[in-house]
Amino acid sequence: MSADGGAESLLDEDSARTPAPRALPRQAVVTVERLTKRYGEIVAVDDISFSLEAGTVTGFLGPNGAGKSTTLRVLLGLAEPTKGEALVFNQRYRELEQPFRRIGAVLESNDFDPGRSGRDHLRALAIAAEIPRSRVEEVLELVELAGDAHRKVRTYSLGMRQRLGLAAALLGDPELLVLDEPANGLDPVGVHWLRRFLRDFAGAGRTVLVSSHLLAEVAQAVDRVLIINSGRIVVAAPLDELTRGGQTLEEVYLDLITGSAS
Amino acid sequence: MSAALRAELFKQRSTRASLGLFATMIVLILFVVLLHGLGVDAGNFDTASKQISVLFGWGEFLAALFAGLLGAMSITGEIRHGTIRPTLLVNPRRQKVVLAKVWASMLIAIGFGLAAGAVAAGVGTVALESRGIDVLVGAGDYALLILGSAAAAALWAAIGVGIGSLVRNQVPALVGIVVWFLFVENLLVGDLAGVGELGRLLPAAAGKAISGQDPETLLAPGFALALLALYAVVAALVGARAASRRDVA
Ligand SMILES: Nc1ncnc2c1ncn2[C@@H]1O[C@H](COP(=O)(O)OP(=O)(O)OP(=O)(O)O)[C@@H](O)[C@H]1O
Ligand SMILES: [Mg+2]
Repeated sequence: MSADGGAESLLDEDSARTPAPRALPRQAVVTVERLTKRYGEIVAVDDISFSLEAGTVTGFLGPNGAGKSTTLRVLLGLAEPTKGEALVFNQRYRELEQPFRRIGAVLESNDFDPGRSGRDHLRALAIAAEIPRSRVEEVLELVELAGDAHRKVRTYSLGMRQRLGLAAALLGDPELLVLDEPANGLDPVGVHWLRRFLRDFAGAGRTVLVSSHLLAEVAQAVDRVLIINSGRIVVAAPLDELTRGGQTLEEVYLDLITGSAS
Repeated sequence: MSAALRAELFKQRSTRASLGLFATMIVLILFVVLLHGLGVDAGNFDTASKQISVLFGWGEFLAALFAGLLGAMSITGEIRHGTIRPTLLVNPRRQKVVLAKVWASMLIAIGFGLAAGAVAAGVGTVALESRGIDVLVGAGDYALLILGSAAAAALWAAIGVGIGSLVRNQVPALVGIVVWFLFVENLLVGDLAGVGELGRLLPAAAGKAISGQDPETLLAPGFALALLALYAVVAALVGARAASRRDVA
């Protein structure tokens, strides 16, 4: 409700670039402290620390294999840290009461049983989270999937799957949204829709952490940037600070990762 | 009923997988029972005990096997399709998720077992009667066959969830259960000399014993039920523990 109701002024492109004043006091929504995750010899995440404040959209960027998904998996309690910790609302995810009502997440774009309908996928999660059935229809409307919700996911396009995943993440009306490459496979209209959606979401005082390889798209939606390379954070800064010298996010990113322009 | 259990039952209802498993089981029972009932020499049906072990016991055997597959699939299917991620995001208490799968699979397996026992009893009886062979099995035997089949299936469903949680990969878990039923235990209990005494303590043999099969070689039904329940509890707890410790990729 708040995502589309209170944030009308953010619906045009220009205002999306200037964050609206936040109603909520700034508090750490996510705190990652000296987090390390090893898989045998591989150090996927190497002693990283960062935090996210409420009401911000943070772009989590980095090359393939940099450790983005690993960080998000640890943050969401799917993988255990080797060292350090990752807290959401000051607690480990696995210790939160009803985490689904505070945090929504999409980690993979195809986490569905192909033989189950989109609506039933959401209903199964809603039952487990004790969320009323009417909310399933609400999120289906929100991601514009209501008309196809009766179909088996097997018949969905990639973009429809992305939107179904997002619908699942929104079921609990969360304060924090964590998305791993949500724009993959979306057409330009879909990307535009997603960008606006994320802006509105954060405009309502909520928080987004989104990883992506689509730098130009990211640049239009985020206000903070977190760049990770080989398991280490190389930049954590507001976007406008990074692009102050007239460089685009893509140029800054390429400089940092490849060092080519230096 | 907990939300986790209701969600698991809904998941089972909302795809055709368990229905497909059920249909396959029934077709197999019809096939095997008719084959034996119509094809096996009448001399092999001259006692109640032989009629049970050669013919009627197939219901329990296939119910236990398919219940094991059902239980294993309830977790390996989620891992295979990736739905385990949203499932654990909603409920990060993994032991509770696994135990909800145990209860849900057991409930459905009771249905599998009752149907399997009843179909085997009914079709077996018709097959024998059609050949003019006296049916020596009494009402008590029928009841034990059907209820024992339900009990064995329920407990094997729990074992299946445990195996699925441990193995995680769907194909090896399912193939492992099938191979265990069709080859490993048969070889250990039947053909290999010297293991017979221990063989009857194995879980598929215990399942057979619950429904009153082979009382000369296998355990008494009550004792077998307790033993299989022990297997089920251990498998479920080991599975729940494994699930809560390992990373989900
Ligand atoms: N389950 C795992 N077992 C072993 N190694 C892993 C596992 N998961 C990730 N890794 C390794 O950890 C490193 C980081 O991987 P991760 O998936 O976090 O990268 P990423 O930043 O998400 O990359 P991409 O942009 O390609 O998605 C890689 O070297 C990867 O091979
Ligand atoms: Mg990744």
